[in-house]
Amino acid sequence: MKQHTTRMTLTIDNKTVTADTGASILDVARQNGIDIPTLCWHEQLSPHGGCRMCIVEVEGLSHFPTACTTPAADGMIVRTHTAQIREMRAEILQLFLSEHTASCLVCDEQEECREYMSTVRKAGVTTGCRYCPKDGQCELQAVTESLGVRDIIYPIYYRGIPVETEDPFYDRDYNLCILCGRCVRMCQEVRLADVLAYKHRGRDAIIGPAFARTHLEAGCEFCGACVSVCPTGTLREKARAWEGAPDREEITTCTFCGVGCQVRLLVKEDRIIGSLPADDPTVNQGQLCVKGRFCNTELVNGHQRIRHPYRRENDIAWDVSWDAAFELIAEKLRSSAPERTGMLVSSNLTNEDLYVAQKFMRVVMKTHHIDSTARLFYGSGFSAYLTLMDRAVPLSAIRDASAVLMVGLDTRFSRSVVGVAIRTAMKRGIRMFTLHSREHTFSLNADVWLQPEVGEEYRYVEALVRLAAGEDVTDRSIPADMRVRLADVARALSESDSPVILVGAEFLQYDSSRAFLAAVAQLADHVGAGVLTLPAQNNLYGSLLSGSFPELLPGMRPTADAARLQKLESLWGTSLTGLTDAWNADHLLRDDCAMQFLYAVGALPPVHRGAAKFTVFQNMYPPEPYCSADLVLPTAAATETDGSFLNGERRVQRVRRAVAPPGIALPDWDILCRLARHMGAEGFAFTRPEEIREEMAQVIPGFGEAEIDARGILPLAFDAVMHVSGNGTAQRPPDSDHPFILHSSVVEHTHRGFPLAAWVEGSRILFPEGVLDISAEDARALGLRDGDSVHVSGASFEEIYPVRIVRQQPRGALHASILESALTHPNPQPVSVRKADV
Amino acid sequence: MSEDIYQDVFSSFRGEEGELISILLRVQERIGYISEEAVMRISRFLRLSENQVYGVASFFSRFRFDAPGKTSIKVCMGTACHVHGGSLLADAVGWDLGITYGQATPDRRFDFQRANCLGCCTLAPVVEINEQIQSRVLVTKLKETMNRREEF
Repeated sequence: MKQHTTRMTLTIDNKTVTADTGASILDVARQNGIDIPTLCWHEQLSPHGGCRMCIVEVEGLSHFPTACTTPAADGMIVRTHTAQIREMRAEILQLFLSEHTASCLVCDEQEECREYMSTVRKAGVTTGCRYCPKDGQCELQAVTESLGVRDIIYPIYYRGIPVETEDPFYDRDYNLCILCGRCVRMCQEVRLADVLAYKHRGRDAIIGPAFARTHLEAGCEFCGACVSVCPTGTLREKARAWEGAPDREEITTCTFCGVGCQVRLLVKEDRIIGSLPADDPTVNQGQLCVKGRFCNTELVNGHQRIRHPYRRENDIAWDVSWDAAFELIAEKLRSSAPERTGMLVSSNLTNEDLYVAQKFMRVVMKTHHIDSTARLFYGSGFSAYLTLMDRAVPLSAIRDASAVLMVGLDTRFSRSVVGVAIRTAMKRGIRMFTLHSREHTFSLNADVWLQPEVGEEYRYVEALVRLAAGEDVTDRSIPADMRVRLADVARALSESDSPVILVGAEFLQYDSSRAFLAAVAQLADHVGAGVLTLPAQNNLYGSLLSGSFPELLPGMRPTADAARLQKLESLWGTSLTGLTDAWNADHLLRDDCAMQFLYAVGALPPVHRGAAKFTVFQNMYPPEPYCSADLVLPTAAATETDGSFLNGERRVQRVRRAVAPPGIALPDWDILCRLARHMGAEGFAFTRPEEIREEMAQVIPGFGEAEIDARGILPLAFDAVMHVSGNGTAQRPPDSDHPFILHSSVVEHTHRGFPLAAWVEGSRILFPEGVLDISAEDARALGLRDGDSVHVSGASFEEIYPVRIVRQQPRGALHASILESALTHPNPQPVSVRKADV
Repeated sequence: MSEDIYQDVFSSFRGEEGELISILLRVQERIGYISEEAVMRISRFLRLSENQVYGVASFFSRFRFDAPGKTSIKVCMGTACHVHGGSLLADAVGWDLGITYGQATPDRRFDFQRANCLGCCTLAPVVEINEQIQSRVLVTKLKETMNRREEF
């Protein structure tokens, strides 16, 4: 027997070829340049053998096996293109086509169509049919052409299924579906999400979720992986459907969270038309979440993008030139005192933008007053979060982990690639635990779901710490069955060799978040677990490292570090002694905030008009009406500039310019350099981001070009003390006047201060901002319907929200997703709810 | 109450994927159809997604997803019954109740199903009304029987 050899020799189409054992006939043929048509086969998926296009003739076999599912064997003689096989394939294809209504495949005028599309009349007119968005990129079209099928002998059967358009981001026209099952396998095998399944049988067979549910109701993550593998026009992106094939692609880093997925931007005529996952082995492994897959395009292409700088005064706005804008800023800056000047940046900016921004404040304005909006997001737990984040293990730790604990993490719409990694690891048999007060993506599959009451999460982590330390849980407020589960989790984590704790964004705005995060750190210490925080801000590490905080100098050193100050002084050629550092972003929320000058770079300043005498607003989109902005400057999006990010693992990642910015917009670093030069400052002669990185490399180890290309993990240590606000008010239980518990959390789906829901249509449905989630039972009791307005009042707060009825919301608990500026304390707090008067 | 039914059914299973069809059969036996709640409960018991459970169930014509009507009418469409005019009977029932096979009347009084063979071909054409075989049925006779049933 030759079973033990690792190579085998076989004959395909009279060609003697060798291959590794285990390969299918299709693999071997393709490796040797022999083309066999396929429809249901896809490189990312298991072979299915459903479309029967790849049938071949194998000598000695009476039937015709499918090449994709038949393993090649030593000595096999295979013929792939005999007349009989070609005829059979054509016959099978016709059966497909009899149910596939696009006549573009067999149209008589197909060849001349393009040529005669433009007809000469009084005006140029384009004729020709265009009813399938996949035209020109369709795999069925390609196979039809390669098999030379020009006519269908079978009667045409039109299924007449209504096109499904109610879900965000993609539409589904199952009249075009050939039931190849690629989407089903993608959803079940690769994403392990199990939303798509085959339903019914025979000619009624169709793909979709249970009953007549929409994908949204069925728990779809909207990752778009099914859309990417659809060979026909059945699954189509709403935003890209009619764009046609892209001209070129550009690989860059996604800018929506700290995972830092690598994406392929599709570019056509200097416009981004789509974004697909890049096949990156380190971070996302060919997967994306809804934000990276669908939100990118709409966000950067919005027609409301700012194109020119403009001045705003007394609600009148007029365009100004860059020079006039710089002159105005220079004049205002010259007359403001450094202690009453501040810059607010977003941790979505590139390292280069942030470095230049802090250098501008320190060198030109002689102040440490630069701060990131991240401080407002994390509130009182900021310092604790940074300490926890500093223990980050690489994402690959999930793959190697033997047990995983998720605290407050829902991977449905953000960090989905982490969810996929966990589900893949679960298939391998790891133990998986989740702590979350609401039903979420893992509540069904987790080995143990620790479900605390809203606001009680802290007690659970504390109980785990005690159990891991070998003590008993004394906290009687935790129900008995949960105490059993806690003991189980603590035991499993302690016994595991390499546990990983993943921290989500769910509880970060709690008043108790500081103690909560400290308890997570303690737990990690006790059980020897790696921690992965994956911040909501894609470049939180970069903003720390570039020194965009009043407490931090570049290289993440405290402002009091004399050696670092000295080094910077010689590098920048200026004195850095006696700079004020009394201000930070928290001051913007105070009533007595009286600034002379506020510069918001990529951030929405959370201040009422008049809090700052003069505000410069530098962003992609115009400011919200409530936002104070006296001068508005247009900036390039992350797809329009070169630079680098540091993800939550501390991995350096490159951002590449795919298209030009709109109008006369410039990248943030360029605007600040030009402004500094306009003001006569030295050391801002940068013309390319590489030059900024060169300077950064001198104070930040591991920041050279070579290191960035290696995409390694930077060895960093965070040891500064950050000022935090908030006092961690004890939470009061609900009483008869305030029977509900309201938990507010800051929307993590933001970019440059704007909630994605503001500029991306589909995200208004998936993750709306300023909406109150309520359980179906409570809504019924209060007589509320989806979209009704409710009046919510607590001890010291009143607000009106539109409601959204959410199945996952526990009874008696409310959840509001809001912006940083709308956060109220205590959080969570007992409130009463009534239907607002119409 | 319904809680007990599911727990009762699940108690004789181990919670493995392969038991899905047996569980579906037992649930349909108990509550007459596969409700949305049934799909949800089975999905949690087997740790399969609801979509997969429904996908499997909908493949088989045996499973139904709406509550059955009170009086069940099954028209046999086996070869012998078909030759003796079974389809005319089916049409008559359909016209009379305003529904097609596989459905129940909106008021849930009648339930109309098609059977592939009821195993009493010598009596063809047959119609089964509430587990009782009516033999050599004519359209007029069938309508009479149904009218009588309506009085209950």
